[in-house]
Amino acid sequence: MNRWVLGAGLLLATVVSVLLGVRLGSVPLTTAQVLEALRGGGDPVVRDIVVQLRLPRVLLGVLVGGGLAIAGATFQALLRNPLAEPYILGISGGASVGAVLVLAFGWMAAGSWALPLAAFAGALLAIVLVFRVATATGRAMDVRVLLLAGVVVAAFFSACIAFILSISPARTVQSAVLWIMGSLAGATWRGVLLTAAYTTPAAVLLIGLARPLNLLSIGEETAHHLGADVEKVKRTSLVVAALITASGVAVAGVIGFVGLVVPHAVRLLIGSDHRALLPLSFLAGAAFLTLADLAARLALSPTEIPIGVITAFIGVPFFLVLLRRSIAA
Amino acid sequence: MGRARVTHPSAGLRRVLPFLLVLAVFGCGESDRAGESRADDPSRGAADQRPVEIVDATGRTVLLDGPATRILSLVPSATLTLRAIGASDRLVGRTDYDDEPWASGLPSVGGGLEPNLEAIVTLRPDLVVRFAGSQDRRTPQRLDDLGIPHVAVRPDGIADVLETVRMLGQATGRRAEADSLATAIRSDLARLEARVAPLPRKSVAYVLGGTPPWVAGPGTYIHELVTLVGGDNVFADLDALYAPVSPEEVRSRRIEVVLASGVEAFDRSLAPEARIEIVDEGLEIPGPDLAISAHRLAELLHGPLPPVPPDAESPGP
Amino acid sequence: MRLRAERVVVRYPGSSVPALDDVSMDVPPGSLYAVLGPNGSGKSSLMRALLGLRRIEGRVLIDERPVGSWDRRELARAVGAVTQSESISFPLTTRELVAMGRYPYLGPLEREGEDDRAAIERALTACDLVGLAGRDVTTLSGGEFQRARLARALAQEPRALVLDEPTASLDVGHEMTILELLRSSADSGMTVLLITHGLDMAARFADRMLLLSRGRVAAEGSPAEVVREETLRAVYGWPLAVHQDPTTGAPRVTPLGSR
Repeated sequence: MNRWVLGAGLLLATVVSVLLGVRLGSVPLTTAQVLEALRGGGDPVVRDIVVQLRLPRVLLGVLVGGGLAIAGATFQALLRNPLAEPYILGISGGASVGAVLVLAFGWMAAGSWALPLAAFAGALLAIVLVFRVATATGRAMDVRVLLLAGVVVAAFFSACIAFILSISPARTVQSAVLWIMGSLAGATWRGVLLTAAYTTPAAVLLIGLARPLNLLSIGEETAHHLGADVEKVKRTSLVVAALITASGVAVAGVIGFVGLVVPHAVRLLIGSDHRALLPLSFLAGAAFLTLADLAARLALSPTEIPIGVITAFIGVPFFLVLLRRSIAA
Repeated sequence: MGRARVTHPSAGLRRVLPFLLVLAVFGCGESDRAGESRADDPSRGAADQRPVEIVDATGRTVLLDGPATRILSLVPSATLTLRAIGASDRLVGRTDYDDEPWASGLPSVGGGLEPNLEAIVTLRPDLVVRFAGSQDRRTPQRLDDLGIPHVAVRPDGIADVLETVRMLGQATGRRAEADSLATAIRSDLARLEARVAPLPRKSVAYVLGGTPPWVAGPGTYIHELVTLVGGDNVFADLDALYAPVSPEEVRSRRIEVVLASGVEAFDRSLAPEARIEIVDEGLEIPGPDLAISAHRLAELLHGPLPPVPPDAESPGP
Repeated sequence: MRLRAERVVVRYPGSSVPALDDVSMDVPPGSLYAVLGPNGSGKSSLMRALLGLRRIEGRVLIDERPVGSWDRRELARAVGAVTQSESISFPLTTRELVAMGRYPYLGPLEREGEDDRAAIERALTACDLVGLAGRDVTTLSGGEFQRARLARALAQEPRALVLDEPTASLDVGHEMTILELLRSSADSGMTVLLITHGLDMAARFADRMLLLSRGRVAAEGSPAEVVREETLRAVYGWPLAVHQDPTTGAPRVTPLGSR
């Protein structure tokens, strides 16, 4: 498939998802009501729903979905492993520990920012730990060590969470599980702006590293012989992709499948040239997560289904169909 | 320690016969030995030594040789009920969740679900009160293996509480005390209903926190309580007991009072015109003091209540 | 472009014996230079040292400049390297693989220009890959894949090629294709350094040879000078007979039985 055609299609899909996400929701509103609310008039309840609840939520879906997808594609290139995904370095584990600690000790009384902040801090801790282990030899960063360190750190954090929850009352356990399952429902304008402030330049930077990432995904020695600054590209892209993931997990919990499946689906359509793979993965992830969130809100309205369930239910069959088509081709 | 004959509604006679035979051989001797521990039990008094047959909350029939004197309650509200009917001196243990001062001297067996079985055995209870429901299948099975009688209670609603009171009164031989407790609860609730009847109903949402927020739907005890004290649950259209709802649902429904469980439970911008009342999460668990909880809830919703109308003295069904 | 190594010593951490010990080498421009030796004799270390991948004692001079003084991208434009092996985990067409050879010439998001496309086409043609250009590289045979990697190096339009056992797992037809290609490149002025196991092929195609043994130079010179029975026996620890091949005129090695 032509990459420009796919790009245009995904851009359109993202825009349409955003529009649908604002127009539709569990509370039925007419188009007129939605437009009026966007203009700043109408019933204050409708205005709150459209402008304070729906709009930040779909925008967060774009940012988090796109961020997870581009981070996933980057990790797959860096680690030269098709099974890599944004949480592979223990980032989700670290964030979850931070969140669970806040929930267990009731620190949320300090402010609604306590939870995302703690989650981000936990994610950073995981990144630093894994980074330190992988560069401990003082020489070049070995991505196999990185991968292994990530798996071990993730397991350690899982054990921490299990321990904390085992000595916590049922209410804490419930809150923790719900947070970990992930949701865009807590989206606020401040959260959206903060996430955008980080994700946008980070995504641009990663796209700028597309050529060396192409080389790195083949092999580090080859990349070096072709003139890439392997160490610098590895460290930069690793840190940037990890921080995109951390900021996504901090505001939205652990939403799975986006970072793993979306890059593969795009790769099946237009190949592994990261100059196209990275931006198109971003768009595909953005559209995917926004639509998944809409489904989460509408399917059993007024109840909301956890978004991780939707991403799995949609993501897996979609991917399998693409895979079969590519094998047949 | 009394031996128990247990028959399931669906059990065949074959299962019962061996026990009958064994009991016929050993039963007489057992009750002599058990008589020692019963003799110095102050709450026994001129008590009933006849066998007690109990049908518990799962429909299981449990037969005790006599009223239970060494009780372990794994269900906090059942513990409170035992205290309310004057049988708390028969308790030999508690769970980590029984944090009342008067229970602190009792040894704990851990959690109410998956308790420490070794600790249970050490306490030599002659009756264990446990949760109905399938979250912990291991404990009832092991109790059966160990020959320790157990009854299940379901602490889910007002009717359940009254049923538990009746059943525990039966199990401890303190039927009179249980009956008077049940009557008191019923008449308190009836009086309360009468007092709130003339007041305008308030639209209420009970929120447990989370993002998206979890709310109490129909079928929950909270819903029952709120409805009884003159509130209308705005989320009565939910299918489930507790469910996460879209924040915009909270925003769009007219709510007069939000009952927020726990301090961090609720984002006030979702109901800017509502009065937010923070309630203790203990309110969600029905127990023998439910009339007091109901009264507190009524005052939260309506403010000070008008006096009881003169004709509202008849207890409910 | 001349490649020179002067008294190079390469040590690996944890090993008391150096992998390369006092090795000197002079590869004149427009020649095919073969480096041989038993397993573990230091051939790959020599390649890594030559390309500036390892810290060394001694000097490596690329075009009379120390390798450390070359800018990475500048070096990639001058020297094309083909390592022993690589594995591809993601879908990639042959053309995309070969196009990576233009990386040293392009900016971060710069698109390929006329010159780049021409270089890629020339490389594909030289390696007889034009018909396979659109195929996924994971579907190529071993020989085709090696040709693609060589094409990538050629697309760099280098003045020197350094190859580590490029024909290791190839059948005779594919091996000959690549060696003839390297020979004609050398004849056109390219400096070709070839690390290989194949004594016969090296003797036939190379202008000069270097024989390594346990990190040291055992012999250096023309194939006739290096491929000698006593030298080879000492280095390989196996009885070998050397004859002149009637067809090619090059020395040919025959391993004798152990008895």
